[in-house]
Amino acid sequence: MAEKHKAAPMVDEISDFEILEIAVRELAIEKGLFTAEDHQLWSEYMETVGPLPAARLVAKAWLDPEFKKLAVTDGVKASLEVGINWITDMPSHFGTPSDYCNLRVMEDTPTLKHVVVCTLCSCYPRPILGQSPEWYRTPNYRRRIVRWPRQVLSEFGLALPEEVEVRVEDSNQKSRFIVLPVRPEGTEGWSEDQLAEIVTRDCLIGVAVPKPGKTANDKRPVHPAINPVDH
Amino acid sequence: MTPERKKAMQHINIGCQLQPALHMPQHAPFPDLIDNAHFRAYTRQVHDVGGEPDVPIEWEEKEEEVWEHNTFITCEVLAWRGVWNAEERRRRQNVDVGQTQYLGLSYYGRWLLTAARILVDKQYITNSELSDKMHEVKKRYE
Repeated sequence: MAEKHKAAPMVDEISDFEILEIAVRELAIEKGLFTAEDHQLWSEYMETVGPLPAARLVAKAWLDPEFKKLAVTDGVKASLEVGINWITDMPSHFGTPSDYCNLRVMEDTPTLKHVVVCTLCSCYPRPILGQSPEWYRTPNYRRRIVRWPRQVLSEFGLALPEEVEVRVEDSNQKSRFIVLPVRPEGTEGWSEDQLAEIVTRDCLIGVAVPKPGKTANDKRPVHPAINPVDH
Repeated sequence: MTPERKKAMQHINIGCQLQPALHMPQHAPFPDLIDNAHFRAYTRQVHDVGGEPDVPIEWEEKEEEVWEHNTFITCEVLAWRGVWNAEERRRRQNVDVGQTQYLGLSYYGRWLLTAARILVDKQYITNSELSDKMHEVKKRYE
C-alpha cells in the first residue's frame, strides 16, 4: 500500500467532509457522548475484521460434512469455530450496534448459484467478511443484480449456463448472508489452509466462484483516496 | 410475466420516473387525480432501488478516506453509547435525506451528515455550536 500513498494534502485542501467529520467527533467527545478511547477501541476492532474467517468457514464446510450442516443451519454458531463471536467480539460486547446477529450461509450446488445484495442500503456481514467493496454499495449494483442477475454476473466475469438457477439473496436489517460455493475440481486432497486461500471475498458475495490457483479478487480499477486510511 | 411481476414492474417504472412537478398551475392536486398506482409510487422510499433500470458501469474498488473510516467508527460508537439505534440510523441515512442527497452524496457523506443531524435534533449540540466548531477546525488548517 505504502507506494500508493500520496503526500499529505496541502493544508488548504482540507475538504468540508473532513472538517465536518472532525467537528462531529470532537463535539461528541466534548459532550460526553463517547470517549476518545471508545473511538480508538472500535477503530482497532475494525482493523481485525476481513474476509479470512468466512473463507475458512467455507473451507471447513467443504472438508467436514457435519460442519457444513451446522454452517447452513446456524451460521452464527458455525462462526465460533472460525474464531468469530457475533455477540462478544465487538467492544460493545452486545453484538454490532447496527443490530444484526443472524448469519445465513447459502449453499450453492452445481445447478444453483447464490449471489448477495442489499437493495435497500448495503447491509453486509462485516464481522466475518470485513468492509464491503465500493461496487457493492452502488445503487447500480443494487438496482440491476435483482433484475438482470445473469448479465451482472457476466460483467463480473461469471458466465453461467442456462441450466444453473441464479438466486439473489437480498440482505436485511437482521440477517446477513455469505455464499458457500461449490468446491471446485482440482482441489482433491487439499488442506483447509489451501482451500481457504481460493475462497475470495468476491466468491463469498457470490459474484465469483473459486478456482485452483486464483487467490485474489479480479483486478478492478481502484478509486484513490486523497487522504487514505493507513492500513 | 406473472401478474405479480407485472405489477411490480409497473410500480418500479412509475416510481423511478416521478419528478417534482415544478410548473403545475395547481400543486397538491385533487385526490381523485391521483390513481392507486401513483399513490403507491409516491409512497415509495428513495433507497428502495432494487429493479430500477440502469446501464452497465465499470465495477470499481475504492481506497478509504480517513474521514470515511472515522465517520463509520463515530456512527458505530454513537450507537454503542446509546445515542441512536439501528432503526433511527437506517431511516436517517437512507430515507430522510431525500432523493437529491441520496443519489448525489457519497456513501459516507450521507452517514456523516446524518451523524451531525442526530446530535442537533436530539439537542446534544446546537447548530451554532456545530458551525463554531467547524469554523475552529477550519482555522487549524489555515
